[in-house]
Amino acid sequence: MGTRPVTDQSQFNERQIKRIFYRRLGTAVWVSFLAAAVQTMIFFAQFDPAYLNEIASITISIDRWQGYALGFVFFWLFSFITGLFCGVIMALPRTKLAQSIRQES
Amino acid sequence: MSTQDTRPVELKLYKAHEKVYPRETKGRFQFKRKLAVFVLLGLFYLLPWFDWGGHQAVLFDLPHRRFYIFGLTLWPQDFIFLALMLIIAAFSLFFFTALAGRLWCGYACPQTVWTEVFIWMEQLTEGNRNKRMKLDKGPWNFNKIWRKTAKQFLWITFALWTGFTFVGFFTPIKELAVNVVTWNLGPWETFWLFFYGFATYGNAGFLREQVCLYMCPYARFQGAMFDKETLIISYDEKRGEPRMRGKTRREAENPGDCIDCTLCVQVCPTGIDIRDGLQYECIACAACIDACDDVMASVGLPKGLIRYTTENALEGKKSRVLRPRILIYGAILTLLVSSFAYALLTRSSIDANVIPDRNSFYRIVDAQRIENVYNLKIMNKGSQTAHYEVSAIGLDGLAVDFETDDGVLSAEPGELISVPIRIRADRSVANKKIHTIKVVVNEVDNPNNKRTETVKYFGYDK
Ligand code: SF4
Ligand code: SF4
Repeated sequence: MGTRPVTDQSQFNERQIKRIFYRRLGTAVWVSFLAAAVQTMIFFAQFDPAYLNEIASITISIDRWQGYALGFVFFWLFSFITGLFCGVIMALPRTKLAQSIRQES
Repeated sequence: MSTQDTRPVELKLYKAHEKVYPRETKGRFQFKRKLAVFVLLGLFYLLPWFDWGGHQAVLFDLPHRRFYIFGLTLWPQDFIFLALMLIIAAFSLFFFTALAGRLWCGYACPQTVWTEVFIWMEQLTEGNRNKRMKLDKGPWNFNKIWRKTAKQFLWITFALWTGFTFVGFFTPIKELAVNVVTWNLGPWETFWLFFYGFATYGNAGFLREQVCLYMCPYARFQGAMFDKETLIISYDEKRGEPRMRGKTRREAENPGDCIDCTLCVQVCPTGIDIRDGLQYECIACAACIDACDDVMASVGLPKGLIRYTTENALEGKKSRVLRPRILIYGAILTLLVSSFAYALLTRSSIDANVIPDRNSFYRIVDAQRIENVYNLKIMNKGSQTAHYEVSAIGLDGLAVDFETDDGVLSAEPGELISVPIRIRADRSVANKKIHTIKVVVNEVDNPNNKRTETVKYFGYDK
């Protein structure tokens, strides 16, 4: 599917721009959710959260369930941030560079 | 697709959603789909209630980090099996997609299966397609309110039951049931029960085909596995066109077989017209085949105007099922499955790890002998308490020595024990700087159940 950035927003109205934004945000949330699920599975198959809690430098005590959940949220958050940045970087700023790229294609 | 300018697509993808009211169908494929729903959901809802060898037959016991799958107990050390299983699942998906298109989508995907059930409940409470459309358009009178309430009641109950069952795969379901009844659920159980219940409700009740369109990763890449020999569901354009109905049809000289009744469109759960050609939206549920076959039968034309076929067959070329793609996928799949089976059958219930003592290379004891010290870790992956012996091979006269509180080496199921061991050899034998030896751990009662680890042994070469 296309991911070419919207460089020239003049052809869209406010509502459409909002939709595009929410669509991209939703994509990042959903895809990072899937990615986090896989990461959690692989990671915790190797490392026991109870043990990690023992050797961690943070001194809060968590049980395994909380460990799994925390790990999942952590992976989700960071994957989401990655996705978000991808989106931001991909949408070229409205500069001369973006203009020229757009005209080329 | 990537070469086109995609801006308009992005907008189109977000056009206001029109609710799809799939019309009910009967027929041979719908029968098979129904069967699939009953088998798959039956397994899902019933499996956690069965016991096997003193524990729940299928239980992913995350708090204790072990998975019970019937007679098999898997520990985190068995991650390879999980990984292999996932890879096998992925390759089966490739294989079956190349062979028969979106079989998975039409018959087995949880999204389809649960949606199907939710639609049944909708039909039960709100009636058939026409009635549902009318009801939605009509005013909020008593009839509408009670029908909608009844539907929501069924949906929500079913969704909660689904969430409950889901959690029952991770916490013993019978205890869970007691906890639900006595209102005694832990925070995580509560969270996951509602989370999964809500996901089912939302996906099967409201999002439906939109999950397939916008969210499903498989739907995005399944096209890559297709070729001209892949089974697809297709309308036979040559035979069907020019479509016409009613008076035009009666007066026409050479009408196509399609009587333009639009039933195939009405039954489609994704709301497309299969007569426009193969589309990304089509989940290959074969509802349109059944609908069209019925119509053809009633107007006395041969069935199969819409049917399972291949692109090549449609173009009048010869179809062949066996082709390199299928053979390669098939070969990889066979290889994976057999290695999985082999690994499973030869799986030892002992996991051992031998780590050399970091502080010294070797020690000379009683002038003649060399000693290396290691830390031995044994994990009991079986379901019974086990006693172990340790021996070493690879050099003549290796002697293993260890001390435990009670003189024996034993571990409970799932227990990890750690013990320092000393391995001694004669100076005349261990006369190189580094030797390689093998440490063998075996069960006392069952010497065939063993595990061998290779380690370095430092000798005396001066
Ligand atoms: S498109 Fe995706 S979600 Fe939809 S039926 Fe197929 S696999 Fe399931
Ligand atoms: S076009 Fe036919 S097979 Fe495809 S989703 Fe619609 S009804 Fe099912």
